[in-house]
Amino acid sequence: MKRLVAFAVMWVLIVGLVMGVTIKFWTAPNPLQEEFWKPLVEEWNAKHPDIQIEWRTIPAARSSEEAILTAIAAGEGPDICTNIFSGFAAQLAEQDQLVDFAKEFGVDFWILVGARRMENIVEGWKLGDHYYVIPIYANPMVLRRRQDKLQELGFNRPPRTYGEIYELAKKYANPPERFAMIVLKGRNWWDRWFDFISFYYAASGGKPYIDTAAGKAVFNNEYGKKVAEFIYTMFKNKWTTSDWGKVFPLANGKALGSLMGPWSLNWAKENYPEVYNNLWISPLPVPDDYPEGKPVKTFADTKGLVMFKSCKYKEEAFEFIKWVFMNPVNDARWIEITKMPPARGDLATNPLFAKYMEEDPYFAAYAREVGNAVPPALITNTIDVQEAMTTFLTEPLMYLKATPDEALEKAVKEINKLLW
Amino acid sequence: MITRRRLKLRETLLGWQFSGIYLLYAAIFWGYPFVWMLILAFSKWNYFGSPRFIGFRNFTHMMQDSIFWRVFLNTMNFMAYFIPMVITAAFLFALALMKVRIFRTFFTLSFLVAYVSSGVGYSILFSNLFSETGPVNNLIYKFTGKTIPWFSDPQLALFSIALMVTWKFVGYYGLILFAGLQAIPKSLYEAAELDGANNWVKFWKITLPLVNPALTTVLVFAINLTFGIFTEPYMITGGGPMRRTLTFMMYMYTTAFQRMKPSYASTLAIATGLMSYGLVVLVRKLIEREVSLT
Repeated sequence: MKRLVAFAVMWVLIVGLVMGVTIKFWTAPNPLQEEFWKPLVEEWNAKHPDIQIEWRTIPAARSSEEAILTAIAAGEGPDICTNIFSGFAAQLAEQDQLVDFAKEFGVDFWILVGARRMENIVEGWKLGDHYYVIPIYANPMVLRRRQDKLQELGFNRPPRTYGEIYELAKKYANPPERFAMIVLKGRNWWDRWFDFISFYYAASGGKPYIDTAAGKAVFNNEYGKKVAEFIYTMFKNKWTTSDWGKVFPLANGKALGSLMGPWSLNWAKENYPEVYNNLWISPLPVPDDYPEGKPVKTFADTKGLVMFKSCKYKEEAFEFIKWVFMNPVNDARWIEITKMPPARGDLATNPLFAKYMEEDPYFAAYAREVGNAVPPALITNTIDVQEAMTTFLTEPLMYLKATPDEALEKAVKEINKLLW
Repeated sequence: MITRRRLKLRETLLGWQFSGIYLLYAAIFWGYPFVWMLILAFSKWNYFGSPRFIGFRNFTHMMQDSIFWRVFLNTMNFMAYFIPMVITAAFLFALALMKVRIFRTFFTLSFLVAYVSSGVGYSILFSNLFSETGPVNNLIYKFTGKTIPWFSDPQLALFSIALMVTWKFVGYYGLILFAGLQAIPKSLYEAAELDGANNWVKFWKITLPLVNPALTTVLVFAINLTFGIFTEPYMITGGGPMRRTLTFMMYMYTTAFQRMKPSYASTLAIATGLMSYGLVVLVRKLIEREVSLT
C-alpha cells in the first residue's frame, strides 16, 4: 500500500513537472486564512496533477503591498493574489498590471458573479468599465465593548452617541490607568480606515470623504467637524490615549471599547476568552443629533483577488478561482474559520449560512452590518492621502496641536494638493 | 629577456586574480546599483516597463516637496541633539577608560555590546521600556504623578531617538577616542605639569588639540550616521508624530515601496548622499587640524 501511495505521489509530481502548468498563488499572511487555504490547495493539486497551484502566504513585510511590489520588481511576483485592497488594485491597474476579468473571461466571470450573488458588490469595485478584482470578503467595522464593565457602571445598553461616551468617560476614565475607549488606532496610513474614515461614515450616513469625480477631499463639512470635535474632546480630557502598551486594552480594562473588524474575533476567543464572553457589539458612535433608529453606516474593509497580466496560464488560474468560489461550502468553511463575512449577496438568505447567523451572535452582528458598510474611496494614491490625513488631521488632534477646524481645513488643503 | 617578460605577465595575472574578486564584487553590488540609481534619478519609472527620461524634473519636484524639507529640518534637529550628546558621552567614556587600570577590556566590551546589538531588537526593547505604560513611565508616575511622552510628543520623540542612538554608539566612538588619547605621549603632560599646568589647562591645551584626528573621525561617522538613520524611527514611531521623526532613509523607503516611485526615491538618495558628503567636507575643513605626535 505504502509503495502504491509513494508511486502515486511520484506520478503526480512527474506529471506536474512534465506538463509544467504551475500557478503561483499568494494569500494573506494570516494563520486563520492559511488554515482555510491549505487543505483547499492540497485538494486541488491532488485532483489536478496537470495544473499545480504553488501556494504561499504573502512574504513578511510591513504591509502586503510592499511585499507584492518588491516581488514584482524582482520578477518573482504571484500569478493570482488575494488580500488586495481597492486602492492598491487601482494603483496596479493604472500600471496596466491586472487582468480585467470581465474582458478576459466574459460569460464565465458573470457566471461566477451570479453564483455568488455579487452583482451589486462587484459594481463597488469597478474601475472605469473594468472589473479587475473578485471581492472575497467585506469586513464592517463595529464597536466592541466590555459588556460586564459597562453594566457595572450602570449602562444597560452600549453608549450610542458621542455624548453618551463622554458620560461613560467621566465615570470611568482615570489616566494613565483607565480610559473610555480607543479612538485613534496608530500612525500607519491604513489606520485611518479604522478610525477617522469609519467615524466619518457613521456621522455622515455613508457620505464620501473624497469626491473622486471632482478629485477633491470633502470631509471638511459638518460631519467631519463633528468627528474631529469628538476626537479632540476625547484627547483633551484624557479620556483616551495614543499609547496603549502591549497588552490588549480591552483585556486589562484600560479601555472599554474599540473599533474592530471581525478578523480578531477568533483571536480574542483564543487569547482572551474572558473578554470574548463579555462583548457588546454595536454600531459606531454617532453625533448627538443623529436620529435614533436610523441605520448607522460604517467602513467596509474589503479585500479581493486579482490576476496579474504576467500570469502565463490565465484560463487554468481562472479554473482554480471558479473551483474555489463557486462552491458555497467553501464560504461556509471560510466563515467558520475566519469569522469574516464573505463577499456574497446571499449571506442572509442562503440556508447554508443560516447556521452561523443563528449559532454565532458575534458573526451575525457583523454580517448584519455588511449592508451598512461603505468601501473606501477608489483612488490611486490612497497611501499618500491617508498619510496626509494622519499628519495634518489625526495627529494634530491627538497632540492638541490644532483646533478641530484648523486641522480639518489644513488636512483637506494638503490632500487636495495630492489629488490635483 | 623572455623570462623577465613572462615573470611580469605572471605577476600581472596574479594581481588581477587578487583584485578581480573585489572588482567583480564592487561591479555587481556597488557599480550596477549606482549606475541604475543615476538612470532612475533622471527618469520616471514605476517598477513596470522601462524608465522614461525626464531630465531634472525629479530634482525640481524635490525642491518643492514639503516633506523633503520637513525631513531636512528633522535631520538637522537630530544632529543638533545627537552630535553634542554622543561626542560628550564618548569623550567621558574614553577619559574614564584611561583612568581605569583593571577590567579595562571588560568595560570596553560591555559598552560595545550596545553597538553590536540588533537595531530591531533594542528598538522593541526601548519602545516597551519608554511607552506611556512602560516601566520607566510607571516609575516616574509613582514619584511625580506625571508621565513623559517619550515617543508621542513631536519634539521629544526625536530627542528620545537621539538618546537611544547615542546609547548605541557611545562604546564604539569612545573606543576610537580612547585610541586617540592613548597615542598622546605622556611626556607632554609631564612637561606641562613641570610648567605648573592644572588638569583643565592640560585638557584644553594638550588633550583636545592632539586628539583631533580621532575626534574628526568620530564626527564624520556621526554625520554619516545621521543621514542614514532608519531602524529606530521606523520601528518605534513610524516617522511620527507629525512627521517629526521621519528620516531621509525612511522617506526614500516609503517613496520607493509604498508610493511606487522608485525614481523619485533615487533622486532623494542622491540628494542625501550629496548633503552628507558636503557636510563632512565642511566639518573637516573647520575642525580638522594637522597633528604631529613626534
